[in-house]
Order: sequence, then structure tokens, then C-alpha cells
Amino acid sequence: MAWWGVREPADLLAETGLPPGRPAVCRFAVPVTDGAAEAIGPREVPVRLADLDGALPALRALGRRRRAETALGASVWAWREAALLAGDDRREEEFGALAARMPTAAHCVLGPDGTAISSAPALLRRFRQMVHTRRELGAAAVRADLRPYQVTGVAWLRALPETGGGGILADEMGLGKTLQAICLLATRQGPRATGPHLVVCPTSVVGNWARELARFAPAIRVIGHHGPGRGLPDPVPPGAVVITSYSVLRADAATLTEISWDVAVFDEAQQIKNPEALATRTAARIPARLRVAMTGTPVENRLDELWSILNVTNPGLLGGRARFRQRFGVPIEQRRSATAAKRLGALVAPYVLRRTKSDVAADLPPKQFVTVACSLTGEQARLYRDAVDRAFTDGLGTGAARRGRVLALLTSLKQICNHPAQFLGDDGDLAGRSGKLDRVTEMLSEIVADDDRALIFTQYRVMGELLVRHLTDTLGTPVPFLHGGLDVRRRDALVHAFQTDDAAPPVLLLSLRAAGFGVNLTRAGHVVHYDRWWNPAVEDQATDRAHRIGRRGPLTVHTLVTGGTVEEHIARLHDAKRALAGAVSGDSAAALADLPDERLRAVLTLGEEGLL
Amino acid sequence: MPAEFGATPWGKAWLRTIEPTAVSRPNPLLPKARSLARNAAVTLRTAEAGRLDAEVSARGVVHRVAIEFPCWSGELSTEVAGLVADAAPVPGDLPDGLEATLTRRGADIAAPAGERAADCGCGAGDGPCAHVLAVLYAVVQRIDETPALAVELRCRAPLQAAADPDWIPLSDVPVEGFYGT
Repeated sequence: MAWWGVREPADLLAETGLPPGRPAVCRFAVPVTDGAAEAIGPREVPVRLADLDGALPALRALGRRRRAETALGASVWAWREAALLAGDDRREEEFGALAARMPTAAHCVLGPDGTAISSAPALLRRFRQMVHTRRELGAAAVRADLRPYQVTGVAWLRALPETGGGGILADEMGLGKTLQAICLLATRQGPRATGPHLVVCPTSVVGNWARELARFAPAIRVIGHHGPGRGLPDPVPPGAVVITSYSVLRADAATLTEISWDVAVFDEAQQIKNPEALATRTAARIPARLRVAMTGTPVENRLDELWSILNVTNPGLLGGRARFRQRFGVPIEQRRSATAAKRLGALVAPYVLRRTKSDVAADLPPKQFVTVACSLTGEQARLYRDAVDRAFTDGLGTGAARRGRVLALLTSLKQICNHPAQFLGDDGDLAGRSGKLDRVTEMLSEIVADDDRALIFTQYRVMGELLVRHLTDTLGTPVPFLHGGLDVRRRDALVHAFQTDDAAPPVLLLSLRAAGFGVNLTRAGHVVHYDRWWNPAVEDQATDRAHRIGRRGPLTVHTLVTGGTVEEHIARLHDAKRALAGAVSGDSAAALADLPDERLRAVLTLGEEGLL
Repeated sequence: MPAEFGATPWGKAWLRTIEPTAVSRPNPLLPKARSLARNAAVTLRTAEAGRLDAEVSARGVVHRVAIEFPCWSGELSTEVAGLVADAAPVPGDLPDGLEATLTRRGADIAAPAGERAADCGCGAGDGPCAHVLAVLYAVVQRIDETPALAVELRCRAPLQAAADPDWIPLSDVPVEGFYGT
């Protein structure tokens, strides 16, 4: 709700009991004097924005005052009526009547191109969708406090055209796309689900989806459909969420295209950006009432990819591929046609929602922490089990010897989680062998495509070198590595370039220890902790390199954690330690050595949740 | 790779009025006209039934160009509008097959060169100057982007406006009673 129109709204709001909100600027169409004549023109208008949660009850409570006694405008009273009606689904006609008598000032918000305003029925419809979404999220038992822009996102997803239509949720990384999609699925349970839901994502995020679903919507039945020996119940129960990977989508096309899905979600939709790829063609054949593609990469400017993804979510919207080339591809890409670009923008705008961190900065904390759950590949799982078995079979001994052997085992396990090549010391191909490496590569591709910058911390020099090799290849940009082996001059040069040089590589690797001195890297919007250090204070200190005073805009801190492994154990320890508000804690690694074999083995045995 | 000018049959119909296939000696002004259109020297101001207005900047001088041409008869226009509505195209587009249908019914997609009256501020003598031709090339490209424009340029009957009820253009917003009472 935007309060506006009087010089100092705060006093009037306080006097009438409406929430004061926060100051902002909105683009409205208002009467302006054009010479002698009055006309309607676009203007930036100072407003105070209040969240719906506070504004709705306050608007409803206004009735205790007599209208003539306040200086509130007719718009406010119109929205009061809307607030009263919105609680009831049956008031369709009354909403129509309200739309007809609403003053223009109550719906004069400008559209994206600034040439038109929202009509009263359209704005009221969006308003009702927002109110309904809030109510349904409450009823759907979603265990999360959604930020205001996330509620908007869920309402947008719910308002997409159904029966074979859909859209692209293209929020920047770190804004919670998965959570918004989970909320959509959570509001389509029970009688509201016309069938089961399907989530297709890269193998590297299958585990993350399962975890987020369990965490935010534990009531939803989740069926993982991946790995050898997979199989689906027949029939798949309505409302259940089947999580699968793009490779399984290709392999099991026959099964998956036979089920009548309610919602189909295509996560990391870069995977379907090539219209000729088998995964894309299969995705387009998945029968679903509502299709949602998710990507953090801006899609509007890559026309072939945009066509390919929208052809999956909204078939027919952009016409055939050859026609799309004629009408948009060639005009926009080869002769920079502004008219074609504008028309394409208008055509896709209702079906693409993209918010950047700076768009929603007011809703974000300055620093937000994201745990990225990763899975082990088959090779990693085998090495991990072998290492644990061998250690206990050989025996860990007692006293100082035991301590040494336990530490060596922990180091091996952490290396295996990082990458088999780090543990084995081989120099073969790196892709597809480590869940974390594959995931971090996808994340960084997205960050680089967004023109943002990232710092990656690892505690191992060897892992750093592996990452440099792999990322330089896949990102197509050199990735420098700041570690203790570099002299001070060289380190300063790297830091300086990252901070000030626009042409410098957007990704900088740092060894956790070498970064412990006074470097300032506030230009990064993302920090990634590739592996875990036993002491959270060391990680926090590294994070703060990117979050010194002077950082403009929010920072996202991603911590990679391989499920079911020692990394998860460390993550739990960190949470406990942070809960003690920085209290000095003992040496956790050494504490593990003091556990009897049986309990130590229980901690270190590979859990199911890390497996695919 | 689609053609630079006339990628769709709709654009091609207009292209043929500038580059007729039956002429043995090509118009020497065409390369310059194409180059002007290609380098975004043409700004179309109006493109509506029977009329084009544009500005062409060449060597630092801006020339105003106006081109007038006849529309289809009222009867033919109504028939075309009906056929377009039946085709239910993607907004802005028209199916290519419809072009042949319309031509068969006697609706010439492009106004023939002989029926056009062009006026350019450059004051060059007889026949269309390079600026007028450049505007026509720009129209060909615009039609390739929006085939529906080909019909809009020639049709007297109102075409099913794709007006979106969710949005009100600023020109339609009344000043009176804006803030309500």
C-alpha cells in the first residue's frame, strides 16, 4: 500500500491509525499542467509504503471514524472497501461495482513502459491475489517467514495462466526462488491439486530441493526419482512432489510424459535453453496444467534461450522458432531495432518475473546466509565409505596416536567431499565427479552472467588449484587464487584489481588462512565457502572481508554442505557454537577423537541424505 | 538466415514495389536507400492506413518525408478484417498463408508504386528520391517485425484492436474527477 498525495503524510497516518510505512518513490500518472491545459502525465511521486499485513487491518478499522472528520482522500476510502471485501471470496459483483466507482487516483500506477496505468479491475484483481496468497500460505502450513517480495512472487506464480501455460521466475540468485516455488506447490495440495507435481533440476540440486521441501513444507509427500533402481508409485498421489534430474527426464521420457502433472517446475532452466536438446524437447512434452521455469540468469537479452524456455512454459506465445527469428531475432540482434525489442518486452513481460537484489534491497538484510545442500557422486560415496571402513577396520588406537589418526580420517573425508581428485591426487577431468564442484560451477556461471562478483574460500591449497583450473575453463575467464604462497605485493595487486578494475576477473579464489589479514573486498555480492573450517569464527572473519563498511547492497553468503557427511556434522557444530554467541569453545576435531569408536562411527558413517 | 529486407511475405510484398523483379536496369538510388535504412537513419513517425510520415537524416540534414497511398475499398477492407480475425494470430503477427489468400481476393498487400504520392523535403526532382526509398525500406523491415502492420496500412475497417483491458493508455485517462470526491 502506498500512501501519497499530501505534503507530509506521516502526521495524517498517525492521526488516523494507519501504519506509517517507509518512504519511497513511485511512478504514477497524475494531472499535470501542460501550458494552460491540464493533462495526465507520468511523475515520480514521494510515497510511504506500508506492508499489506499492517495496512489491511488498519484500513478495515478506519470505519470507526466518520469520513468527513479526516483529511483522507477518496482513494483511501475506496481501498478500505477493497480491504473489507478481500476477506470474502464470494463478493465478485461487489468488487466489480467498487472498480467502477474507484477514483483514478486509486489506481494510477504506471505500467512498465510508462505509457499506461493499471485499470481498476486489474489492480483490484492483483490485490485480491495478494490477500488470498497470504491467507493460503498461512493455511498451507509453510514454515517460513516470507519477505514481502517473495509473497508478491508467490502471488504472481499463482496468477499465471493455467491449462498448459506458465511463466519464468527469473529472480537473481539468493532471493529464494526455490522457496517461492515450494509455496506454490504447498498451496496446491489436497483437493486443489489436479495431479502430482514434478520438479526437474540438475543432479547437483536434487538434494537441495528435497531438503528445502522437508524444511519449509514438511507435510508434502516428496518422491525422489533418480539413481539406478528408481521407480514411481502407480498412480503417483495428487499433491506429491516428484523430484528428478534432467538426465532422468531424458532417460524416462516415456514414463514422465504419461503422467498428468499439476505443476511442472523446471529449475536451472538454462538446461532447456537449447531447443534442439533432448531434455528441452522432452520438457516441452510434459503434460502439466502449470509450467514454471526458474533461472537466475537474465533471459530477456538472449533471444534464442528466451524462445526455447518460453516454448516449454508458454507454447505458442512467441510463435514458431523461424518466425521468432524473422520478427525478433534478426531485427533486435542484427540491427538493434528498438521497436522490435519493445514489442518483445511487452509480449513476454506478463510471463517473466525478475527481481534483482537491488530491486528488493529494502526487503533484504545486509547479509544473508544460504546453506547449499550438495550430494555425493557415486565415486565420492564409494571413496567415503571405503575411508571410514578402512579406518575402523585398521583400528584407531588410543591416546595421541588416536588423535592423529582421527584427524587424518577427518581430513580425508573433507577432501573426498571437496573432490575425489583432491583426495586421490589425480589430474584427470573434474566435471561430474563432485556434487559441490558441479554446484559451485553452476552458481558462479549465474553470478558472472548477472555481472556480479564472487569470492570463494577454501582451506586447501590443492583444492584451490583444482578450482582455478576447472573454473577458468568453464567460466571462460581467468580465476586468480590469493593464497599464502604469494608475496604481499602480488596479493595487494589481486585485491586492488578486484576492488577497482572493471575488467578484472569477477571471481576471486582465496585460501581461508591467507585471507585472514586486512584485505577489503567489498565489491563482491556473493561469498561462497567451498569447505568447512572447524571454527566458525574463521569463516565469519573471511565473510567479513566482503562485508566491510563500504559494501553497497546486500551480500549473500553461500555455504556448501554435503548432506549426510562430516560436513553436515560440522554445520551442526557451527550452529551450536554461534548460538553460544561466540563463546570460546573447545577444539571440535580433537573432541571427536575423544569419542568411543561406536559413537565416532555413528557420526562419520555416510548418511542416506547425501546420496542420489 | 532471414533476408535483411522482406524476411516475411508481408514485407516482401512492399519490397517488390521498390525492387520490381521485372525491371532490367536497377534503380541506382537503391543502394544508398538501403544503407540509410540499415544505419537507422529513418525514424518513422506515423504508419497508419493510407499514410507514412518519417524523418530521414542524411549527412547531418533531416528530411521530412510523407507518403500517401490508397487504402482498400470499404467492402474489401471489411472482408480482410474478417479473415484476419478468423486467423486469430499471435499479437502483431499474421500467418504467412494469409498473404496469398488476401492477394487472391484482390487485396494487394502493398500499394503499387504508381499509386503512391511521396513528398520529401530534399526537393529532388522527378521520381522517388533516396530518402523516400529509405522510408519504404524501413517500412519493409517494420512489417517483417510486425506483419499485422501490412494490413493496418491498407485497411479502412477497424481491425480487432488487441487493447488490453488491464491497462489504460495515459491519453484515455480523464483529468476530471481524478482524485474522486
